[in-house]
Formats: sequence, structure tokens, C-alpha cells
Amino acid sequence: MSVVHRIPLPVGATPMVEVGHVVEPSEVLATRRTPRGGQAIAVAAPLRRSAVDAAACLTVRPGTFLDAGATLADNGRGRVVRVPESCILLGYDRDDGSALIAPLSGSQPVVGHVRGEVVAMEPDAIEVRVSGALVGGVGGTGNAVHGELRVAVHDPAAELRASAIDVGATGRILVGGSRASAETLTRARAMGVAGIVLGGVLDKELRDFEATQVRRRELGVVRGDFAVILLEGYGKVGFDPGLFAWFQRHDGRLASLFGADARLYVYDAEPAPARRMLARSGERVIAHRRPHAGLAGELIRVLDRPHAFGSGVVGRAAVVRFDDGRTAIVPLANLEATEAFPVG
Amino acid sequence: MSQPRVRAEMAVLIDVGSAWAKAGVIGQVGGRWRLVAHATQPTAWGSAALRAALVDQLASAVDARLTGQVDQLLADARRIECHTAIPPRLAIVAVSRELSGSAARRAAEAAGWHVVEFMTLDDGRDLADRLATLQAAEVSAWLIAGGFDGARSPRALEAAALVAAARRQGGGPVVWAGSADLGPDVVELFEPGVVATVANPRPDARRDEPGPLRDHLVALLRDEVAVTEETHLASSTFGRAVGALATLSGLRILGVDLGARSAVRVLAEPDGSVASRVRARGGLAGTVLVSGAAARVARLAGDAGDESAVADVLQTLRARPTTLPQTVEELSATQTAARVQLAAMFDEGTDGSVDLVIGAGRTLAAAPYPGQAARMLLDGVRPLGVTQLAVDAGAVLGPLGSLPDDQVREGVSLLGEDLLVPLGTAIVCRGGDPGRTAMRVTLHRAGWPAVGPVEMRTGQLQVLPLPRGQVAEVTIELLGSATFGATRRSPRIQAMVSGGAVGLILDARGSPIGLPRRGDDRREVLAAWRDALNRDAAAGAERFA
Repeated sequence: MSVVHRIPLPVGATPMVEVGHVVEPSEVLATRRTPRGGQAIAVAAPLRRSAVDAAACLTVRPGTFLDAGATLADNGRGRVVRVPESCILLGYDRDDGSALIAPLSGSQPVVGHVRGEVVAMEPDAIEVRVSGALVGGVGGTGNAVHGELRVAVHDPAAELRASAIDVGATGRILVGGSRASAETLTRARAMGVAGIVLGGVLDKELRDFEATQVRRRELGVVRGDFAVILLEGYGKVGFDPGLFAWFQRHDGRLASLFGADARLYVYDAEPAPARRMLARSGERVIAHRRPHAGLAGELIRVLDRPHAFGSGVVGRAAVVRFDDGRTAIVPLANLEATEAFPVG
Repeated sequence: MSQPRVRAEMAVLIDVGSAWAKAGVIGQVGGRWRLVAHATQPTAWGSAALRAALVDQLASAVDARLTGQVDQLLADARRIECHTAIPPRLAIVAVSRELSGSAARRAAEAAGWHVVEFMTLDDGRDLADRLATLQAAEVSAWLIAGGFDGARSPRALEAAALVAAARRQGGGPVVWAGSADLGPDVVELFEPGVVATVANPRPDARRDEPGPLRDHLVALLRDEVAVTEETHLASSTFGRAVGALATLSGLRILGVDLGARSAVRVLAEPDGSVASRVRARGGLAGTVLVSGAAARVARLAGDAGDESAVADVLQTLRARPTTLPQTVEELSATQTAARVQLAAMFDEGTDGSVDLVIGAGRTLAAAPYPGQAARMLLDGVRPLGVTQLAVDAGAVLGPLGSLPDDQVREGVSLLGEDLLVPLGTAIVCRGGDPGRTAMRVTLHRAGWPAVGPVEMRTGQLQVLPLPRGQVAEVTIELLGSATFGATRRSPRIQAMVSGGAVGLILDARGSPIGLPRRGDDRREVLAAWRDALNRDAAAGAERFA
């Protein structure tokens, strides 16, 4: 199984690969020169012109990329202003006769974070065919990271505790359970964990964690990348046992996690258990939303008539026997059929 | 002897939303066109499941001679369809967050654009961060704003230069909506033909004139989503149908379609003119993006749980928009989120009083109880004065608006009473002195004893029974500082009101609605308002809160 992953290229990036190249997650696919802070260059004075008149002498317009030594302004009588280093011209101040430029930094790598074959090169993106399984989530946070998968809980409904994170987790992508507190996420990041895969997390705790990370980044305390992906929902939501078993079978495999995009690639893996809406009688299902969020079971039958639920909402409904032994009537719209997967 | 062929005239109205697909079947019953079946389901379930649901409903209701032919009849029936488009993405770069930035953003969102990058030169970012962010932006168009007319703001030119540096050649159209004096300079920053110069939405520090920019962005958006599709876009068709209804009824109508992703607001005049605005992130899924939304929803709901629980519900509305609230708490959070989103659409008011407010979209039109729909409309829109309330329960307005021009009005009039479900009439005042009577209302119905005068104290909500199909005359006295939004010309106002599933709603809660500061008091007041609207209208008892 393979999927095509698209890596956006920022403006001005120089590709380092070609179609057909096989790339690794850490490999540099392109380089770019990022602009640094603004810098003013005197224009009017060297040209011996007034600040207003010197504006007409600019040879390039704002937004132009300039190489070191390129002409910025020329008075036509032999007086020329050149830029001292590669930069972008951002503007000209008619009051003081200076130009604002953004010098470009040294070459910086653009890393794809995926393993696969380059199948297309476009001006704004590189497309890589990834051999493996794609697992999509409902939300997440953080940058692109990669590392080995490590299942860190024994039960799909268990909470990932801070105490479960040790030095052995450094550089890995941990598969947690139904929840991780802001404290657990903070510890994971501090221990150098690359990323965390969860069934659910409380939105408030995820936001608290993000807020502390933003603050620490501003203070220069946080370095390195870290990502979180949620597969089932928000709140304390367990994994589908079939999907959890699939992760257990792929413990130790290399994976790439794109937190903000809620995408996880697991390399050289068989397809993850498929999901389908509009479940039918006899199928394995996973429920979403309270009070059954994250519970898996078997759909016994779809009711012939619309059902009024506790909230008063009326909709198509199904009787589900959950794995914990309970039987409940659940909105059909809140169920997804899941592919059976051998557990254990 | 051959059996006579039985024909059934019917049409299928389909509204394919980003999350939910709604379908209705209209057919001739006793010589009149009626809505004979209706189904709603997640769009992802597909058209076959939708048709099967309609067939199930019709099978037990059709003429016995048609049994077994329903599926074929539906397949042969005329399909009248509208759908929701994914809004294109826009980046905004402006000088200040409070002035040029907010004006540009409001105009863009009102035009239906999805603003994915909003950068202002006073946002505290450094230059490198700004350029890197803009270089990575994947957008269909750019909007630059800043500087007052009559001045050459270097900061505004810097904003334009930032875009010029970050945008790649051919990277979508650029709209300059800043200082008019800088227009020619900005045009020169980009390749020929790329920049469109539009009137400044903040020509000076005191004036806010977003109209021309909004209109330009609406036109640009239409170009982006392909002109050929426009006649079937729900954002356009809903407005066309509401416009037709306004013309036919002679009423000034406000329509709101609150979807999973986006929301549409339409104001239609009796002369047929229609002004519509689309908010790309104005749907339920967008609530989570509103700053402090979870705390606000928890506070306004009163019975949806704490802020943490509400935050999870709001994220669920974004991540799984086709799921249903199964618990009372989740429904309360969802409906309060709808009120918050509606209020955001009407933060500039409703452009004067209107005669009828129509609510559309699953959350509004398929609320379990009519009182819940009425509350979302009342709290979200705050229609001052005497206003009828109704919901598009059959989701027929969008599809009808996709008909050719000459047929929209015909389609709207053919459906008659099946077009909308009337909730009743609301009398809403604002102002009023705390603890004192804000308005006094007397209800007169032919053949019935007069009801009232009912004294409404500031902060009170009350419902008088007035079933669907009944009309009555009301006499309203506004007292103290209470008004209907305009200067009071007469101490007494006479108006005709019509009934509905809720009744006659007397609302003296003000605008915006005032709530007690103490949590317990607030919850008590909110529960009383909820109960006043949700009790059975047919019980005949007056309901106070």
C-alpha cells in the first residue's frame, strides 16, 4: 500500500532532489534562505539626492530578491547603491531616504520527514510516494516528526501516565491510550519524545500544553519538535481495540507524524483497520460522542423507525452491544463500522 | 382489459451540505403540491441511502396502485438540487489589527472567504517570522489593507511589500484595500493585471465603509468557485428563495442558514432586492475558533457542563460535524454554540426591524423542540420589535432557489403552508429600567376574551398561547426607557401577530441580553427562560420566566 505525501516548498526554496529519488525522513529535500530582521540602507545620501527624488532612482521594486552586490539604486550619473548581502527589498522611506531590506540567512534545510520515492516536483511542492499505512486523526498539534513507534499502554482505554515515560521513549512516537494530561505531554516533550498518538485528549489540557510551549519557546527554553495526534475524539476517548491491536503489531516500526495535519504514516505496514460510515447489522462499530465515545462493539440491528434520544434529537438509530457488556441505542450517525482485526 | 396507468407528479428537492444532506419529495396531493417525504442524513452516507430513506417513507403513504413503483418514480422525478462549496482561502496583511485589519477581515468573512492567514504589522512578530509565514501560506488570493486616504503611510506600503516578497509569481489575485494614494505604488509591486484596487474600508479613523470591499470580494469568490456552479450554490440559492418569498408576501425577511461549516445571512425586501453575506467559518464547526468560545458557551448555556466539557463538545462539532448530540448537555452546548455564531453574524445589528426571521440548517430547523429553535433565533438575532419566527424544517428553500429565475417564485408559492414551519411571533424590546415594567401587552382575538394587559418586567420572557393558523391583534405599551430600537413616536403600538408552534413570545430581556453575575443566579434565570419557551404551547397556560 502506498500514499502520496505532499511537502509544500516555501517561496525561494531550491530543490535538492529529482523525480525518482528515494528519500529518508531526515533527508534534506530542498534548501531555503529565510529572511532575517529588517535593516535600513541609506539611498538618498549616497546618490546626492533628496529623499523624495531618490525614490525614482530605485532600480528594483519592493518584494524583489537581490544577490549580494546587486544594484539597489542608480542616479544615472555614476552613483550607485548596492546591497551588501543577499536580501529582499521591503520598502523605501521617502522621509529619511533609506531602503528597508531583509537580509537572507544562510542556507537552511527543508526536511520532508517522510520515507519514500519522489514522484513529482512542482514549483510549490514535492510529492513523495510513501510505502506504508496512513492513519488519519481528528485533530492534533505540533510539527512534523519521525521516530519508531512504541506502544506505551497495555489497554486501549488506559490513560497515558507521566510515569510511563522514561529515557527509553526518547526520539520515539508513543502510542498512548484514552487520554494524556498536560503534565504528561510536558514530561514527554522534556524527555525528548518525538510524538504521541492518542485516542483522545481533553481540549483544555491540549490548549494548556500548547500555551506553555509557546511561552517556553518565546523564552528559548524549548527546542526540537514534538507532535500529538488524536485518532478518535476530544475528551477521554479510548482507541478502537482493533486499531490498538494494529499498533501493537507494528510496535518498533518507523513512523512519521504530522501533528497539525493529523496524519500518521507507518512504514512497511499493512493497512490500518478501515473505517466506514453507515454501519450495518453484524458489523464491528466504534461510537463517537458522549456517552459512548470511544466504545467498540457489535451493531445488533438498525431500528426501522427514527428514534428520539435522551437529548430529544430524533434520528436513525442502531442497537449496539458494546464490548464492556452494555447494550445501548446509539444514533447511526455516531457509529463507524470498523474492520475486524485480530486482537492480541 | 388493461389496467389504467397511474401517474404521480413529484419532484425531489435536495440540499447537499458539507456535513448533512437533506432531501424532500413534493407531490400532488388532492390537487395541491405538498411536501410528502423528508429525510436528513450525513452527506457521506451517499445518495443511495438518501433515496432509500425517502422510498421507505413514501411506501407506506402512496396510493396503493403505486406500491412497488416508488423507487422508479423517485428515479424519474425531477431533481432540484443545491450544494455547499468549499470556500477558497485568503491571506490578509494589514497595518493595524484594530483598524485596517479588523475592517478587512470582517469584509472578507462576510463575503464568504476562509481567512487562513491574518497578519498585522502590530502583531508583535518579527520580520523574519512574518515573511516565513506568508511564504508558506497556501491561498487563492491576497488582501492588503492599511493607511488612511489622503496619506501615504509607509507602513501600508511595507505591508504590500511583504506580500510582494512572499507571494510567488502567478500566486493568485491581490486586492489592495488601503490608502487610495498608495494604489499606483502597490500596483507596481506585482506583475501586471494582478492587483485590483478597491475603496478603502477605513478611509479615516472614524469611518468604516466595508461595502465596496465586501462586494469586490464576493465577486472574486464567485470567480474562484466557478461561475457555472453558482446557480446551484446553497449560499446563493437560499437568498434567491428568501427574496422570492419577500416579494410574494410583501414582508421584509431575514433568513439565516446555519450550516456545519459556514453560515449565510440574507435580508430580502418586498421589492425583491436581496443582500446576503456568507461567513466561511460561521457554522457550528467554527465556534471553536472564536476566542474564549468554550467559556462563553458554558456561561450562556448554564446546563451544558463546565468549560472543559464544553470545549470538548466544540471540538467535536469541528472534527465530527455529522454526529448527533445524544445527551441533554451536548445538545445544550450545541444550541448555545449556534446562538453564539448567530450573534457573531449580527454583531452590527439587523439593519432595522424585519417582519419575518427564517432559520435554516439542521441545528435550527431540526431542533427537537420548537422553543429551542425560537430561542436560538431570538438570542442570536435579537430582532427588535414585532417579528414572526419560522424555520425551514423541510430544507426546501435552498433547492427551490436553484430553479431558473422565472420558476423560483412559482416554486415558493406552490408549496404554501409546507414551505415553512411557523414558530409564532416575538415582541422584543430593549432598554427598560431594572426591576420595572418594560412593556405592557394586551392580546385581542376575535371571539375570545382579551388576554392581558400582561406586564413584562425588564429581564422577563413570557409566552402566550397562540397556535398555528391563528392571528390576533396586540396592543403594546413601552414604558420607561424601553424601545423597539427606534425613537418612540406613540405610547401605544398596535400590531397584528400570527401564531405558531411556540406562540406569542414577549421578550423584555434587552439587547444584548443581560445575565446575573453570580453563577447560581445565572443558571436559575437561564433555566427559567428555557422552560418558558419549551413548555407545551397547547396547554393554554401562560408561561412566565
